[in-house]
Amino acid sequence: MTAASPAVPAVSAGRGGRRLLDLWACWWVFPPFYTLFGIIFVPLTRVMPPPSPAKPTAQIVLFFHAHALTIQIGFSVLMLAIGAGSVLNGLVAYQMRRMTVDPVFAYTYIATLAVGAIPGCLFCAFSFLAATFRPDRDPHLIALCYDLGLLTFVGSLGCFATQYLIFAIAIFLDRNKIFPTWLAYISIWQVVTELVAIPVFIFTGGPFAWNGAISFWEGTALFGVYIACLIMCVRKAIERQQPGERVPG
Amino acid sequence: MTAEARSRPADAPAQRTPALPGDAGMWVFVLGDMVIFGVYFIVFMVYRGHEQAVFLASQRHLSLASGAVNTLVLLAGSRFAALAVAAARAGDDRRASRLIGWCGICGVAFLLVKAREWYSLVSAGRTVTRNNFYMFYYAFTGVHLFHVLMGLVVLGVMLAELRRPAGRRTWLIEAGAIYWHMVDLLWIILFALLYLMR
Repeated sequence: MTAASPAVPAVSAGRGGRRLLDLWACWWVFPPFYTLFGIIFVPLTRVMPPPSPAKPTAQIVLFFHAHALTIQIGFSVLMLAIGAGSVLNGLVAYQMRRMTVDPVFAYTYIATLAVGAIPGCLFCAFSFLAATFRPDRDPHLIALCYDLGLLTFVGSLGCFATQYLIFAIAIFLDRNKIFPTWLAYISIWQVVTELVAIPVFIFTGGPFAWNGAISFWEGTALFGVYIACLIMCVRKAIERQQPGERVPG
Repeated sequence: MTAEARSRPADAPAQRTPALPGDAGMWVFVLGDMVIFGVYFIVFMVYRGHEQAVFLASQRHLSLASGAVNTLVLLAGSRFAALAVAAARAGDDRRASRLIGWCGICGVAFLLVKAREWYSLVSAGRTVTRNNFYMFYYAFTGVHLFHVLMGLVVLGVMLAELRRPAGRRTWLIEAGAIYWHMVDLLWIILFALLYLMR
């Protein structure tokens, strides 16, 4: 919050000053949200790192028996917290509206993420919750939930690839230099990582499986770098923003 | 650095420092992309180490001629891109545009040769699921092909830049050429790993 102080001069009592405070309030959703996201997906629900696609049905049933409680706690919390992601996407889209590019870029950014949240996050949560909801269900149906959950989680490609691409193009075309060009290039790496996740629908083992070195591990490492850079760049963008600046809706 | 580069006068060859052509953002991209591909190559070598016989047997079915033609095509494209930069620096935008056009033709030729190669492999039943070698082959050449497609877009941006009546930015032409060189370099490594290494 202190970083906002120098950027809020005498006009802070007016609408502009309050708006920067609004922005900072939104920005501060980032760190707790991604921390919570990490806690939910890594230790609680065990979606990351993904368990092997080669597990036999009996082991998949055992997996859900062993982690039923944490899966239910984790994904129930996610159902409540998922909306916070919209605040972050809204904040990025708001900064995109400060760019000189057409509003269609910001609209596309929001739309791709809104649609992408379903295969990229919610579908997995519901599949795992359904698997733990009736533990005595036919093991093959539990295995189906397992496949559905992890295939959508790692293999949801199109919406995110479009989001990264549209974001990169907007940064390239923007003459106000809201975000640095290197963020656009990092965003294009993300498109490449989405591409190499295509084979997860084919392989149950090896580097291109849903838990593979290339499809999952490299992509996730790059996503971590990307999110850290995005958070930093949004922070810098707000710091540089003038309190009285008029931003189109 | 980027902001500094962008604030340069449109064409001031005399004031340019030769230390870093293009813009810093492109170098971040190129170096990062090479690290990404570096990880691919390490993973490939690990799997190759485990299944050397399968990899060598499968490799024999790749068309060495197609790979060599594509290497030459991309090298020629890189040469055209480099000449285009020299022409742009000298202020000869017409020549630069023409050279970028030739570079684009090389890019399209690469796509056509690659498509033909994939078609003949798939027709012979050598698909992505045949074995781990083909899995790597299609994945790596596919990702590289995506880079070539992006390269064609980059060439289009360079052409549009050269047609800007005022304030043409030489660094942008340089950045495009850097990208094309990277695509070329990555292919040379892929060619060596997939087609040549015994």
